[in-house]
Amino acid sequence: MDLISILTPLFFTLVAVGTVIGIIFGAIPGMTATMAVAVCLPLTYSLGLENGLALLLGLYVGGISGGLVPAILLNIPGTPSSITTTLDGYPMTMAGEGENALKIGIISSVIGGLISLAALYLFAPALADFAIKFSYIEKFLIIFFALTVMAALSSSLLVGIFSGVLGIFISLIGAYDISRGGNGELRLVPEFLEYYLESGFSLLPVLIGLFGLATILIEAENGMPEGQGLSGVKIAKGKPFRLSVFKGQIINLIRSSGIGTFVGILPGVGGSAASILAYSQEKNFSRHPERFGKGEPAGVIASESANNGLTGGALVPLLSLGIPGDSTTAILIGAFTLQGIQVGPLFIGNNPVTWDAMIIAMLAANLVMFLVMIFAIRHIAKVVSVPKNILFPIILMMCVVGAYTINYGVMFDVWTLLIFGLFGYLAHKIGLEIAPFIIGFILGPSAEIYFVKSLESFGTLSIFFTKSWIAVLLWVLIALSIGFSIMVSRKTKKMR
Amino acid sequence: MTGLFKTLATAAGLAAMVATPILASASELPGNVRMVIGSKSTGGDTYQNSAIIAEALSKKLDINVKVDAVGASEAFKALERDSRGTTIMIFHDQSYLAHLYGVRGYDDIFENFKVGPTVAINPGNAYLVAKNSPLQSMEDVIAAAAAGQRVRVAIQAGGVSEIGFSALKNAVKIQHPGAEENIVPVNTGSQADKNQLLFDGQADVINGSVQANEQFTQLPEDDQKAMRFIWLTAREETIAQANPEGMGDTTRDELLAFTTPNVSVTMDGEKDFTFDKEFFLLFNKDMDPEQIATIDKALTEIFAAGEIQETQKASFFIPNFKPSAEATEYLKAKREDYRHIIDAIATN
Repeated sequence: MDLISILTPLFFTLVAVGTVIGIIFGAIPGMTATMAVAVCLPLTYSLGLENGLALLLGLYVGGISGGLVPAILLNIPGTPSSITTTLDGYPMTMAGEGENALKIGIISSVIGGLISLAALYLFAPALADFAIKFSYIEKFLIIFFALTVMAALSSSLLVGIFSGVLGIFISLIGAYDISRGGNGELRLVPEFLEYYLESGFSLLPVLIGLFGLATILIEAENGMPEGQGLSGVKIAKGKPFRLSVFKGQIINLIRSSGIGTFVGILPGVGGSAASILAYSQEKNFSRHPERFGKGEPAGVIASESANNGLTGGALVPLLSLGIPGDSTTAILIGAFTLQGIQVGPLFIGNNPVTWDAMIIAMLAANLVMFLVMIFAIRHIAKVVSVPKNILFPIILMMCVVGAYTINYGVMFDVWTLLIFGLFGYLAHKIGLEIAPFIIGFILGPSAEIYFVKSLESFGTLSIFFTKSWIAVLLWVLIALSIGFSIMVSRKTKKMR
Repeated sequence: MTGLFKTLATAAGLAAMVATPILASASELPGNVRMVIGSKSTGGDTYQNSAIIAEALSKKLDINVKVDAVGASEAFKALERDSRGTTIMIFHDQSYLAHLYGVRGYDDIFENFKVGPTVAINPGNAYLVAKNSPLQSMEDVIAAAAAGQRVRVAIQAGGVSEIGFSALKNAVKIQHPGAEENIVPVNTGSQADKNQLLFDGQADVINGSVQANEQFTQLPEDDQKAMRFIWLTAREETIAQANPEGMGDTTRDELLAFTTPNVSVTMDGEKDFTFDKEFFLLFNKDMDPEQIATIDKALTEIFAAGEIQETQKASFFIPNFKPSAEATEYLKAKREDYRHIIDAIATN
């Protein structure tokens, strides 16, 4: 079958439908792109490979992009990779700039998506060859590099580090999973909770508990005057949107999209690391690092271009090595296996038409995502004017439903949501930092596995410094990042 | 009070209406059946095989069967909770091998569940080396261990991935007592991790599969990613049932070169070790036998029609339907065979 005969109206309709459904999934706290792709995967049986991929790729791009909506408007990351979007997006909303923040996020998303798509199309096999130079050691160092941002995201260096380490500690609760190379034994689990905590705490319920439920509890304590909206200000009160906000952001856009793509091509590092790294790098390079976390548009640009940059990047190892780059492409590979198509180093050469169709589907999905979201913004942004006494119960219900469905109906996930909602509320009271905590929680298990496996393979800590030039380069970046965090911390103290 | 009575009566009536179809159809399968699988991956053979069976059962019984890739731990829990026939499970030999290896969370499936029909074999369980490795065959691997060289084998501990490793170690123990200590496992997780260990030179041999690794065997020798099959654990007669075109660019005849008797890993000094990765259904222990009989009957008719075998073979599965009773006895016997090998290694 040639390419032209594949590119039917049905093909593009499926891309558009997939993208819109994906945006909705991404925008609902607790529902993710991964879930959207998993739900629709069996449809590929009846749709055929290319049409099935059109739908799934639309869901993927839409799902990743939709996460910015609740992150910016409600301070709840729709997906784990939107965590850093909340840091500046939500303060913008509170300042009446929610609509602008959404527009900045959407434009950054589409640019990130297109840059990574170009990298995928032009360099996929070469990038895959580069990706396999990263062994356990280099992957551990990348995660360590991302962890160094914990301190930079906090008002206090020590509190940030403590919160992050606490997050890592809690992430290690549960079995040392044999499917990740562990021994299957439980750690840190009281006997009466063994049944529930075998797989540890699930990420999504923890995330929406800390961000969603905790925010509601804090607001409830402060009191919610009937009829008052979220931001307490009118949507249009902020400055009108101008493209000039992107002036001076070209390097940020390219660097963040590049980081997203790069992290995407490394299987096992995880999508969240992409936006965390991009955000911290932009903060490091910025002339005004003190503005980050208070509604700085550059923070939204870095975060959103990186997490959409991931979409093309994660397809590189999938299509060049048969190895998924993130959790969503791990589901996507099912579309190929269900059709009996091998995905590996010969896939692109053996299936040029499918390859081209995928690229066109990704391109179309990015454009549809842009058009749908940019035109819907005015209506979406109105969510902040819905009275809190109506909005919060709805959010709470969505959080509970999302937590329950994330692992196909596990009630303990709802308890996890409630436990971490309460924890988030208490953390706010005692001054613990949530952003470093969740970053530690997300990156902890990967850091552990790569660290332990490196030591198992080489038996010496010195290997982390001597393995390769990439390892040395990463140590330099880690040292710079730590040095920068200390410098900013001292500067902030002086300013106070 | 009258209002309250009315409300209660309406609620009771509604409850009765809801309950009636469940009670009435207790011996039949529910309209919506959740098929949980022991893998979290939708890209793997368990999902692929389960999707084929779910599709066939849906059509045959005119019900909805939805495959949920929840992973072994959650799948067993979901199955334990539900005796109504709403949840059934598909898994493979990992379910009892992990118990034999003492992996936590894996209880005896023959005691805790009802073992249902077998449906297919994945004949692709394979061991590979780097294409430029000095170890070109299993003979080389065994000889290297006998000569005192450490041979590092990347596996996922406690199951299908480890059983071939145990067999190799057992064979070295039989042929060169004491040298089995030179066969060392490198415990890792996904196929990606195993491949990466080979690319990095941190493993000499990796466990893989024909489906996942065949394309890597087609790469030129100077490519860092190039691999070579050295052993397929499936029985010769199992691979012989595959389509002649085999998988990718490797034909069935070429694959047969890597099975016994062409590759010999002895089990007891006489017989060669073989292992077919078989998929089968599992049911809640208290599930209505009539519901199980319904599934058995439906699958008997589906396999008798012959269409599903073509679908399975096109995806490199070998059809292997055995009804519940026969499958239970067969799998129990199979478990005993592998128990001997694992025990032999454990007594090292």
